[in-house]
Amino acid sequence: MTKMQKIRRPGLLILPVLLCFASALPILSAFGEVQEADHTHLVGMKVRCMCGGCNDSAGGCYHVGGAFSGPCDTALGMLKKIDARIAKGDSDDLIVQSFVQEYGQAVLTEPPHSGFGRVAWWIPAVALIGGFALVLGVISKWRKRLSPEPALAGAGNARPVSAELLERARKQAASDTED
Amino acid sequence: MDVFGSFALILAFICAVYAFGGGIAAILTRHPLLVKSTRQAGIATCCLIFLATFSLEYLFFSDNFSVAYVVAHSNRALSTFYKIAALWAGQEGSLLFWSFLLSIYVFSVLIAYRNKNGELMPYVGVILAGVQIFFLTLNNFVASPFKALAVPGANGAMDLVARADGNGLTPLLQYPEMVIHPPNLYSGYTGFTIPFAFALAALLARYPGEKWIHLTRKWTMIAWCFQTAGILLGAHWAYAVLGWGGYWGWDPVENASLLPWLTGTAFLHSVMMQEKRGMMKVWNVWLVFSTFILCILGTFLTRSGVVSSVHAFAQSSIGSWFVGFLAVIFTVCLVAYLKNRDYLKSENQLDAFVSRESSFLFNNLILLVSCIAVLSGTLFPVLSEWLSGSKISVGAPFFNKVNIPIGLLLLFLTGVGPLLAWRKTSVESLKRNFAWPLIIGVVGGSIIFALGYREFYSLICFSLCIFVAATILMEFYRGAKVIRTRSDASFLTSAIELTMRNTRRYGGYIVHMGMVLVFIGLAGAAFNQNVQKEMPPGSSMQIGKYTLVMQNFDTKPEANYTGYRLIVEVLVGGKPLMMLYPEKRVFDTNGETGTMVAIYSTLREDLYVVYAGQSPDTKLPVIHAYLNPLVKWIWFGGVIVVFGTLVALMPNRRAVLVLSAAKQPAAEPLARGLAPSATYRERHD
Repeated sequence: MTKMQKIRRPGLLILPVLLCFASALPILSAFGEVQEADHTHLVGMKVRCMCGGCNDSAGGCYHVGGAFSGPCDTALGMLKKIDARIAKGDSDDLIVQSFVQEYGQAVLTEPPHSGFGRVAWWIPAVALIGGFALVLGVISKWRKRLSPEPALAGAGNARPVSAELLERARKQAASDTED
Repeated sequence: MDVFGSFALILAFICAVYAFGGGIAAILTRHPLLVKSTRQAGIATCCLIFLATFSLEYLFFSDNFSVAYVVAHSNRALSTFYKIAALWAGQEGSLLFWSFLLSIYVFSVLIAYRNKNGELMPYVGVILAGVQIFFLTLNNFVASPFKALAVPGANGAMDLVARADGNGLTPLLQYPEMVIHPPNLYSGYTGFTIPFAFALAALLARYPGEKWIHLTRKWTMIAWCFQTAGILLGAHWAYAVLGWGGYWGWDPVENASLLPWLTGTAFLHSVMMQEKRGMMKVWNVWLVFSTFILCILGTFLTRSGVVSSVHAFAQSSIGSWFVGFLAVIFTVCLVAYLKNRDYLKSENQLDAFVSRESSFLFNNLILLVSCIAVLSGTLFPVLSEWLSGSKISVGAPFFNKVNIPIGLLLLFLTGVGPLLAWRKTSVESLKRNFAWPLIIGVVGGSIIFALGYREFYSLICFSLCIFVAATILMEFYRGAKVIRTRSDASFLTSAIELTMRNTRRYGGYIVHMGMVLVFIGLAGAAFNQNVQKEMPPGSSMQIGKYTLVMQNFDTKPEANYTGYRLIVEVLVGGKPLMMLYPEKRVFDTNGETGTMVAIYSTLREDLYVVYAGQSPDTKLPVIHAYLNPLVKWIWFGGVIVVFGTLVALMPNRRAVLVLSAAKQPAAEPLARGLAPSATYRERHD
């Protein structure tokens, strides 16, 4: 097989993939823009609805099982407070802090990046970095265990390969290439 | 029938205790009769649990309102279809249902391997009986579903009573998917008991060879398939019923179902290292143990109320039993491991850094990190309260921030892993395998970027999806091409033949392709839109290209509820497209409400319309409309994943050389005979 042929054949594969992708373009073209929620709801997403009956944020409360599938009275009250504070010119952080003062840290939808809350963020990060280092260490250790290949005998002294050895090698090759 | 059910459960408990105790004696004495009798006790346990479950269903179907559980979760007007679902509507019934599904697995294992693996099966039987004893203890003594309805009498004693009608089933469960989602999910949870039993049994018995790992892998795949289907059906139920426009809210109960799925997925990958290279035996055993422990932990989280969840229907004081059981399982696993760890010794050697083995190590790392992130996030509110005295909430924003990058790393490995060779991947092979998929991925990503998509994670996700899809298609193309050149079959036939010859490998690729589709659907969530508006008749709202016109509303009295339905016309470009009927249901027996979302679903997007109810201020109907792109890809991807798993479970078809009667010329009848003629025949091994 020439070099040109080698390149051309996988090249044929690009065609169906690109065709599939081209057919998906109209699908993608429909939703190019990310919807921006209004400021009140954006801040409302940072604090939990404290009604005790749902685990939603105040900005995203839909209150399953309620007579009205939307913000419950508690969430509406919290959104009104946010609205009033935005009108007053308070920053988002200040508004969120006012809720923390009122309800404690349980009002936040994600752990704070300070105090004990930092631990929640550290755990996945430490697991990822530590795990990555561990895997690299393991790979390095397992590679060192590999016994060096015996030096090749000179062609003239080469022993004939037994049928048993050949069969074992075939089985190994089949096992290595099966999955 | 309630007495019959109770009696069956008690008998089942006694049989399970015998299967456990007698099984241990059988292991110690190796007496064949004892081995046989304990196996039969195990089978009897399962049959008795089946009887108890059917008797509870019979109580539902016969509207027996003298049983407290039936009163609490059914009523006369409830349709037959949902009377099936009422079985797992509450704590007691769902625990019995758990025992029932576990019994199906145990029964299958005890029957299928009754004459096989003689050294291993007594251990497996004892472990399975041990797990059954725990659940039967709950069924009999802690949360019996057969308790008679009783009220305090005049003299202070409890009087047995019967009600004319029941309270009815919670509206959230009166949806077709609730009849299939819990059985699937529970089948996943309970199914992981079998690989756990095989792994622990092999360790305790120091079972020689690698057969136990093949058995473990097969049963893990079955449980994994159910767990996957259960998770996706749950997501679809949340999407279609809860009416919030989403499908995954990182609720503790949702997280609990994801945890064993993640470790199970890790095991299904790392098990190949053991099968091929005899490596990672300790790791694999602990992955199986962890998966089972996480199943029980998940059940504990769901039922104990230790973490706040919207799935509050099953909260009770039962948690302490699960904590005790978890402690027992962990202790048994640890002691078994410490006593027999030399049995798991393996010669872990790697030929090269760039190899399939390394990719599996990284794949396991990413899955484990995701599991740790989800588990720690789920338990963090409780931990923070214990350790710092102040409860810190962990909601969806945290899980999204942490898990989206992890998910993308995993997606990347999904594309890379299968293209790396076992032992060592040469630079030439890297170039050959990765050049075109990389080019296709980068070109695809660039086009998406040029089209104006700037949402970082979605852009990366789409590019990776194209890359992974290209790698998978390339693998099918290469393999099918070889078959095609030999057989002259069509490309599709060759691809099917290729898949059937190595179902495990190509079934795995189909699963990966399904995951790509799921990821495409998930990436679409970045472009969700929603509008909420009060809609008097005749008014309209615009969302995306759709115009929704509120035509009218009507009231639909049904046997079990009254439906308040909006009639909404959907227009595109001024032309009528279809009618949608979002509905709010008020259930007569308990006054609870349910939402029936109206969805117009296409491959491009879902138009998702919710009748939110009447505005508390103006009493006008309020419509909440969502435009959710690519959601259908998630469900379609889920179907592909399940299909791929089923393919991977099938035995390989092999082309084998057989001897057949040679065709001889008619003119030489006397010379006819058996002559060696090499022909290929398909065979299932």
